[in-house]
Amino acid sequence: MSLAEQLGLAVQALRANWLRGLLTALGVIIGVASLVTLTAISAGAREGVATDLKRLGPNIVLLDGEFITLPNGVTTPTDRTLTRGDLEAVARLPSVRAVAARQVVEGLTISSGRVRTSPFVSGVSPDYLRIHNVTAAQGRLLTRDDNRFGREVIVLGSIPARRLFRAAAAVGHTVRVLDREFTVVGVYARRGSLGGENLDNNAFLPLTVAKRVLFGGDNVHGADVQVASAADVAPTMDAIDSLMAERHKIGGGLEDWSTEDQAQIINAAQAATSTFQTLTLALGAIALIVGGIGIMNIMLVSVTERTREIGIRKALGADPRHIQGQFLTEALVLCTAGGALGVGLGLAVARVVSSLAGWQTVIAPGTLVVAFATALAVGLFFGFYPARRAARLPPAVAMRYD
Amino acid sequence: MADLVIATEDLRKRYDSGELSVEALRGVDLTVAPGELVAVMGPSGSGKSTLLSILGCLEQPTSGSYLLAGEEVARFDERKAARVRRERIGFVFQSYNLLPRSTALQNVELPLIYAQIPRDERRRRAARALESVGLADRLAHLPSQLSGGQQQRVAVARAIVTEPAVLLADEPTGNLDSHSEAEILEILDDLHDRGATIVMVTHAREVAEHGTRILHMLDGRIEIDETLRASRAAPVPT
Ligand SMILES: Nc1ncnc2c1ncn2[C@@H]1O[C@H](COP(=O)(O)OP(=O)(O)OP(=O)(O)O)[C@@H](O)[C@H]1O
Ligand SMILES: [Mg+2]
Repeated sequence: MSLAEQLGLAVQALRANWLRGLLTALGVIIGVASLVTLTAISAGAREGVATDLKRLGPNIVLLDGEFITLPNGVTTPTDRTLTRGDLEAVARLPSVRAVAARQVVEGLTISSGRVRTSPFVSGVSPDYLRIHNVTAAQGRLLTRDDNRFGREVIVLGSIPARRLFRAAAAVGHTVRVLDREFTVVGVYARRGSLGGENLDNNAFLPLTVAKRVLFGGDNVHGADVQVASAADVAPTMDAIDSLMAERHKIGGGLEDWSTEDQAQIINAAQAATSTFQTLTLALGAIALIVGGIGIMNIMLVSVTERTREIGIRKALGADPRHIQGQFLTEALVLCTAGGALGVGLGLAVARVVSSLAGWQTVIAPGTLVVAFATALAVGLFFGFYPARRAARLPPAVAMRYD
Repeated sequence: MADLVIATEDLRKRYDSGELSVEALRGVDLTVAPGELVAVMGPSGSGKSTLLSILGCLEQPTSGSYLLAGEEVARFDERKAARVRRERIGFVFQSYNLLPRSTALQNVELPLIYAQIPRDERRRRAARALESVGLADRLAHLPSQLSGGQQQRVAVARAIVTEPAVLLADEPTGNLDSHSEAEILEILDDLHDRGATIVMVTHAREVAEHGTRILHMLDGRIEIDETLRASRAAPVPT
């Protein structure tokens, strides 16, 4: 019997009871759908990390000042521990391309007339926007001159710009921060979100202006350090740590700074999908096992129901391998059909998930191959025992049905 | 006697199921020469079907020897027995035993499928076999679309399509009205005339009289071996 004939025979047998077949294949359908969804989302997350890195600026080490609790129980009053000297020393490290100081000022309100909004307001040095790949959507970004001359200008994110000025152009207008007036010189292009933080709800001032008008003093609480390549990130973090230890000399193992790899933050943000992935994987595995057992069960029922057919075939010369092949083919066809439906369902679910949760999904052709292979493996594994049982039925049953 | 189709010696079959043990055959010695049409009669439970299923290698005897065309097949395992069935045996059953979802042609093709005959040749031979039983115009019919007599003719076509050494028929007319019975008997007579070797179980004397011999079974033994006439076509062995 040719393969095509064998398949035709299996399809014919399954068609005779197609609803039962469909219900039986449900487990496989769900299992395969879970696998497809899972791989689509994890591939999407991987790609998301890559695009986030590009979007948020590659190869950046975050240096942050920290509060510390001294041995006498006193907690230091500020985390603005990074001095101008610290940042200049960091900038002299060989792998460092740029150092951009930043200082978030919390709880500030920006107003235009009676409209008010409270984005995250940061004073930043001019390199900051550049190393984070920020671009201007309207007007311009902050310049070195803004910083040097202490111009009272502000660059808004798309969210505060829309809140304050609706659809109208923001550039050229004046906004109030505390009791001072700032000129909006630009609105930066949308950056999306990172780990639940919306990066478009920011406003940037020149660092010099922020220091002067908002909080005084020369220290900052953060600096973003751009290094030459991804390979430089870890060694540079170590170098900064020893440099800071050398400069701050607090002792007692205390450090009033910390270093972090931005890539890790991005990874962590994408890890939000990993809980979902684990659940999906578990669901998929359970569905496949339950589905496989369901298939085994229905195949056993089918063998019992078709004892007579098996007897007839044997009387006509089918040997055990023919019968085993026939029933195994049925299980495989059932699982393959289930696999195909599962792929379709999985693609649909992946699409729904990406539109509801905002997760990126990527369908690799390999996914579909793996899904089919899994379905076939389930069919082979759980179809084997019923098929062998069919193969072992005594041939004399044909005679005894008379 | 190498040219005998069937030669059994002290064939015994015991069925053990739990406490119960039934001796269905208690020493059957039987020889069938080529071209014979042997009828087997006997009361219910006398072992006729059991004998036929052992002759057809559907079951192994508990003891004894069975030479089929000179080859000892009594102890053949499943795969070897399957091979014997598809190459040398044709079965006809009382209840037709056609596959309900396959057409007449597909049913007749079945044994050729297992004999690995290529598709075109298979179709041709199956169609010819159906033609020979007068069903040339029913190839695409399902069993449910055929009368009992027609179904049994499909079953006969299926049994002879491989040109087996022996045709085994267990009450082939048991389910049929007298008209259909006559048709089947005519086909069997015709096969016999052309030299086929046939062993046929029947309850009806007038059916049995189509044979060259009648074996009367009782309690798992052949009580009487009644010769009616010489085989019609086969040369009488000297
Ligand atoms: N698979 C089996 N297991 C146990 N006992 C069996 C089995 N097959 C047949 N028998 C017994 O063997 C004996 C002979 O049965 P068999 O079917 O050969 O009789 P038969 O002559 O064909 O009868 P009938 O005319 O009713 O068809 C009976 O007592 C029957 O119950
Ligand atoms: Mg019987």
